[in-house]
Amino acid sequence: MDRPEQKKAYGFGVNPGFKPGFLLLSLFFKIRRPYARLSITPDSVPDRPGKKPCLYGPGALSRGNTEKGDLYKGGVGVDLQALKRQESKRKISKGYMWALFCAVFWGIWYLPGTVVWVLNPFDEMYGVIAGTEGDAASLVVTAVLITAFNALTVMLALMLWNGVLGKYGELVRTLKEFHPCSKWFFLASVFGGPMAILGSFMAMGFIGGAFAAVAALLYPVIGSVLAYYWYGEKISKRAAMGIIVIIIGGITIFGGGLVTELAAGDVPWIGYLGGLMAAAGWGIEGAIAGKGLDISEPDVGLTLRFLGENIIWWIIIVPLLAIVGYPMYSFALQAFEPLTLLVLIFAGITFGFCYVCWYKSFPLIGVGRGQGIGNLYGLCAIIFIFLFFGDVPEWTILLGGALCVAGSFIMFTEETSELETLRGE
Amino acid sequence: MAKNRPIKFRILELFLDEKEHWNYEIVSKVQEEYGMKGDYNRDSINFDIIELASGGMLKDVEQKVDEEGIYKNNFLLHKYRITDFGKVRGSDACLRYV
Repeated sequence: MDRPEQKKAYGFGVNPGFKPGFLLLSLFFKIRRPYARLSITPDSVPDRPGKKPCLYGPGALSRGNTEKGDLYKGGVGVDLQALKRQESKRKISKGYMWALFCAVFWGIWYLPGTVVWVLNPFDEMYGVIAGTEGDAASLVVTAVLITAFNALTVMLALMLWNGVLGKYGELVRTLKEFHPCSKWFFLASVFGGPMAILGSFMAMGFIGGAFAAVAALLYPVIGSVLAYYWYGEKISKRAAMGIIVIIIGGITIFGGGLVTELAAGDVPWIGYLGGLMAAAGWGIEGAIAGKGLDISEPDVGLTLRFLGENIIWWIIIVPLLAIVGYPMYSFALQAFEPLTLLVLIFAGITFGFCYVCWYKSFPLIGVGRGQGIGNLYGLCAIIFIFLFFGDVPEWTILLGGALCVAGSFIMFTEETSELETLRGE
Repeated sequence: MAKNRPIKFRILELFLDEKEHWNYEIVSKVQEEYGMKGDYNRDSINFDIIELASGGMLKDVEQKVDEEGIYKNNFLLHKYRITDFGKVRGSDACLRYV
């Protein structure tokens, strides 16, 4: 093998498949080109008398590698342990990548999630109900209808996604397994939908947006503690530290607003209850979903979770509110106008794929880490709101953002052997 | 049990004989049973096995490089066996325990 080929084996050489974008991603996620695509094989390495070169991984072609597990073939040793470590690193990088994409989509979702409130029929609905029932009740009832539509458009996006992946058959098979499997996703929808989202809106309405955001940021603590005690998911000190730094970063981001909101005085207890519901709801949802994801595919499990949420909103809560006397159906029918539909579909796509990424990260890096990195949504939301709405961030936001990024890197740089399996045998 | 249950259930069931199996053996068996042809489905089933191992239900006991192209040329092949936790989850999923 000549020198350039050796460089290629290390991943340093420029080859025909070189892609600048991949290089940038690889710098961030420590992705290495899959050894399977390398142009060398054990047979392509010349004999080196007295030496046992290994072909792959960090110790590639190092002299005298006698690590147990090397495979001999024709006098050539392949460092299987290095290969295994490399494969494990790729798997974990993929898990972190999914979790980061979750944060990005979640951050983008705040754009349609904010805009939809000022569009008809929701704007008009809020005004009409506030006139008779007061602002607080109006906010919650309008939030129910918006969230119901959000769940519906997420479901449409997920059905399309599963169609593209060819997973309708698996979807039906998993749906039928209610007792061992799909019950976990329906249960997750109860905690993720009405509990977390409604709680978040209650916190927003009765205290303020900053309080709601900070409260929600605490959900990985609940998720990882539950996953640890319930089904023994390992959480290392390093991962726990990363989660805590990200949470401190999030609190710093929203800290200024939080102080202002709390200093306004007379904070109603129902606002705190809402904050608790948001943190507990999303945390519990993650832990429950993790249980279901043990024995099902993430894309399919997630679709069932949103099927459950749609049933809760459209078959239980919206009809109940209509029976109580709120004009739910008349305003729901008015939502079918182009701009509102466009914003709702945008919300559905971003929220849907945020969840796809969230659920896909759990089996690879665990609920605690997936939720911890997912927490970067706070930073992403600030960035996207700045880019699209022009709200200039304050210095506390920049400091908090830096802490969030630092917390993420604490987790990214964790020793991957710790993560080979997420649970003890 | 045939192809009427979720794929991860079937994979766990195949491991419930408590023997060690290479990933390519399981993948080809599931592909055949579920009529899932093509490289995309092959890799998708293999990823299910990886997720089961990541979740602590299967233990990776041996590896070798696929030099003969049994699964994919130069790919790292893995041999797995079911763990005690995998047996428990398998039983939870109403699978036959041998």
